[in-house]
Amino acid sequence: MSEPVTRRDLLHQVVRGGVLATFGGGAIFLVQKAHGQVVWQVDASRCINSRLGDTGAEACKLCTTECVVALSAVRAVNEYSKCGRCNICPAYFNITSAVDAQGLPSEKLCPRDAIARKPIGKADPEDPANNFYEYSIDEEKCDGCGKCVMKCKEPLGLGSIVLRVRYDKCEDCNRCAISRACPKDALIQVPVEQALRPPELHPRTE
Amino acid sequence: MMRAREFVQPPGVGQAILPADTLSSVSRRQMESRRQPGLAAPQRLLLLLLSLFLAFAPTLPAQSIPYSRPVETAPQAETIGGGYKTPAVQKPLPRDAYLQMLDVLLLAAAMGISVWLVIKRRSRKWAVALTIGSLAYFGFYREGCVCPIGSIQNVALALTDRTYAIPMVVTATFFLPLVIALFFGRAFCGGVCALGAIQELVLLKPVRVPPRLDRALGLLKYVYLGLAIFLAIKPALGRDFLICRFDPFVGFFRRTGAPHMLLLGGGFLLLGMFVGRPYCRYLCPYGGLLAWCTRLARRGVTITPDKELDCGLCAEACPYGAIEHMRAVRKDCLYCARCYASCPRDGELAHTKAELVHLS
Repeated sequence: MSEPVTRRDLLHQVVRGGVLATFGGGAIFLVQKAHGQVVWQVDASRCINSRLGDTGAEACKLCTTECVVALSAVRAVNEYSKCGRCNICPAYFNITSAVDAQGLPSEKLCPRDAIARKPIGKADPEDPANNFYEYSIDEEKCDGCGKCVMKCKEPLGLGSIVLRVRYDKCEDCNRCAISRACPKDALIQVPVEQALRPPELHPRTE
Repeated sequence: MMRAREFVQPPGVGQAILPADTLSSVSRRQMESRRQPGLAAPQRLLLLLLSLFLAFAPTLPAQSIPYSRPVETAPQAETIGGGYKTPAVQKPLPRDAYLQMLDVLLLAAAMGISVWLVIKRRSRKWAVALTIGSLAYFGFYREGCVCPIGSIQNVALALTDRTYAIPMVVTATFFLPLVIALFFGRAFCGGVCALGAIQELVLLKPVRVPPRLDRALGLLKYVYLGLAIFLAIKPALGRDFLICRFDPFVGFFRRTGAPHMLLLGGGFLLLGMFVGRPYCRYLCPYGGLLAWCTRLARRGVTITPDKELDCGLCAEACPYGAIEHMRAVRKDCLYCARCYASCPRDGELAHTKAELVHLS
């Protein structure tokens, strides 16, 4: 450093040091409250479609329409351990449609035909009504419209279908477009460990 | 079988039948009373009643159904029998945390390279190569989301809302370019920022914006910054991340997006063919912060490093109007290194050396 240090340089150095210290302080403050990794997830107890107590309404389709991904990153998931395995599943069948020869509703509920139904356990060919059925949702077809979620609730369903974010599709937007539109603020940012736990549903108490 | 009875307890006349129907497969199996003949006919009747009920259901007040969800009635693998195993619910994992750290490291590395290429090597060619690389990685591969511009909102929100959890990576992304700017100027803008890179590469025939208009438009970014922070720190339901929502180029990076946003991005690119990096100069709120930091910068792009030579070719070559009175203005300089490429003395190309002799 052969150049003489001018007063201007010195002033710059001091101010720069001050700004750096401010940045450092800010960064430390933020890091202290920071989470390692945060992802978007649907809070099942807030979502109109899955929240128990809200029945009879049309399913909220904002997850389908608002997501920036072409086929929404939100899709319906059947938590099998909570599924009633019903013969006449209100989420699989359009239960208001005409009854066919087998005694089942003739129409399916899902507009994209994403739900598959198969008898499980000791399947009884003579009495299909008394079997258990497994309902699996094809995640490549599902666009998260929430129709089945809305129907798998009281009075018929057990509420095993919920909307969830699929992370292979989610763009992880800084401000999720669905969360902006969601009237119940049901899309929340949670630590990644929490997002992967199965949702816990509680009946609405208020 | 009290549980089943409780569940079907009729709250209204029609409703009593409904749970009984769906539960038939569950509770009846629990009662070990399978294979009763003549079940089909009542079931059909139930279904008809059910259809009737549902036809009129909307007229009933929905909230009046007292209901506690009997999740425990859900049959488990052992109840189902037949060797059935409950399948796992598919859960694709989010991007690994270490990959996010890698993004931050790459961001830091790219800025370091940008500083070295532009200040030390004074090479336009390599600066363009870095721009293309950054556009490919931060833009099209990471889909525009290693983004200090958007992180302004997260930081503003995290500073004001104690419950808001800001990811570590976002904090680093926000501060790194600012610290670099304090020492070397806007190295992030040139060659690293994906939004800048896409505009940099479409610039065909720059026209000179009148300085007064340039200065006036430049104030827009501070208005945008203020507005973005104001909306970001509002309570959850009214909150909006304006910068991300109106990011004009993210639609191209993701190859999907709302038509009006793609149109806006296309407009910016079209304008950017003639006006150098319009978003960066007039709208980018982070550019505003960086510009402020560069006032304290130690070093920056310098033209005519050793000897005054006022041919003014560099000033003409600068598409951003960042050379005034034969000096580079650090707050406006976007590290594109066009001035070096235009300089007859400074170029690293062989033919410029001949010119150098000619000139001197």
